Amino acid sequence: MKARASAEDFAEAARRHLDDVHAFLVYLTGDRAVAEDLTAETFARALERWHRFDPHRGGPRTWLCQLARSTALDHFRGEERRRRREGRYAVAEVRESAEPAFGEGLSPALERALAQLSAAEREVIALRVLLELDGEATARVLGISTSACSTRLSRALQKLEKEVSSGVAA
Amino acid sequence: MSPLELVDDRFGELARELRASQPRAPAELRERIETLAPLPSRRMLPSLRRLAPAVALVGLAGSLCVAAAIGLVHSGSRERQVGAPETSTADRVPGAPVFGAHTQAGTSRSFPVPAGKLQAGSGALAPARDRLQQYDAALTLRVHDADELSTRTQQAMRLARSLGGFVVSASFDVPGRRGVSTLVLRVPIGHVQRAIADLSGYGTLFAQKISVQDLQQRADRQAARIAALRQTIAAIAARLRGPLGTAERARLERQLAFEEQQLATMLKRRAATVRHAKLARLSLTLVTPKPKAAAASSRLDRTLDDAGSVLAREVQILLYALIVAGPLLLLGGLALVAARTQRSRSDRRLLERS
Repeated sequence: MKARASAEDFAEAARRHLDDVHAFLVYLTGDRAVAEDLTAETFARALERWHRFDPHRGGPRTWLCQLARSTALDHFRGEERRRRREGRYAVAEVRESAEPAFGEGLSPALERALAQLSAAEREVIALRVLLELDGEATARVLGISTSACSTRLSRALQKLEKEVSSGVAA
Repeated sequence: MSPLELVDDRFGELARELRASQPRAPAELRERIETLAPLPSRRMLPSLRRLAPAVALVGLAGSLCVAAAIGLVHSGSRERQVGAPETSTADRVPGAPVFGAHTQAGTSRSFPVPAGKLQAGSGALAPARDRLQQYDAALTLRVHDADELSTRTQQAMRLARSLGGFVVSASFDVPGRRGVSTLVLRVPIGHVQRAIADLSGYGTLFAQKISVQDLQQRADRQAARIAALRQTIAAIAARLRGPLGTAERARLERQLAFEEQQLATMLKRRAATVRHAKLARLSLTLVTPKPKAAAASSRLDRTLDDAGSVLAREVQILLYALIVAGPLLLLGGLALVAARTQRSRSDRRLLERS
């Protein structure tokens, strides 16, 4: 029988997985400030829905990543609506940030290459490479099959490598 | 083995650099998260996924309870029915005499006796000794089994003969489940009460009708007509003995022949009226009871039977509802799947654009 998830369990899960959720959202959004806001929003939602978390259907990290992705998608939809209203100039704002977007210590070539990837490509890299989730958990977070997940990861990495190589050559 | 290596190990260096530079949550964010206060305890609504099995279980338990309750109630009421008087309408015999027919105001009396209120020989009216009457009686009796049915049928026939009467018709039928014997007897009017009393003792009487129709007036009219015809014939005969013309003699002879024919017919009719009045007509129907399988079963069996019937009915209703709602549910499910697929594609496109 499943033990009910308590507030203490949530606090522990938040402490352990905050960096992972934040890193995932940084990769997904490509914007640190937005990622921080979405991380806070994700954990607020997680606290609200913590009683629904079922450990038998996956670990807390997977569940938190699912919530984070859903929060990010809501954000992207809102942003898209806003861009449509305001004439598509907001995209440039994000890209003009001087702060390294994906992590301190990354080579400029890799940083640029990551920025060239789409959010869909970065999210699979974040889950599989950065957070080292297995294929099944990643597929569950993304809502796709395991084989589709492998394909997507392979293509994303190939593209990343290609972008890095072209960046270094330039 | 790293999960990445399951996909491709060419990107090891890339992966190491990415992992080494994983962005960390800033201290302010960590503080924000740690200060998230648990919400006040609120009533938790279970999700549909968890609720559905519980609802199904409650429904199943409810169905079983209803079936068991109906089974118990019905088995009790049927027990009472089994113990009720045996002269229920279910025992009515097809082909038994139709009571209440053939009554004639002023000249007849009819006495149908309600089922369930009969005693052997009750209601057997005494025929009037100083008047001619047509006496009809119809009795329906139940005997125990086919053997007794046969014995009582033979006894009834012997009784009619012993009383100076005869059997008009007899029908004996045991088709398998329920036996029926129908006899029509003619018994001298002077012995009709004894015959009814004896026949009533052959089984359990549950229907009886006695009809008496007065024939005296008809007999008197016939007697007066016969006397008048005789007088007319005597007068014609006297005239024929005297001197007459040829034509007149021929006419009187034709009239005499006609009147004599009328007299003969009337004498026959009167004889028939008297004969009718001398012999009572008795219709006797003997039946065996309907097999009562339910009476032999225990209350538990009846409860289980009824509960089973109710459950079968519930399953029928459920199937009916599924058949009716099935297409709608299917359409709803397809719409849900389509919406989810569409949303998933839309999310993918959104992330690819971002």
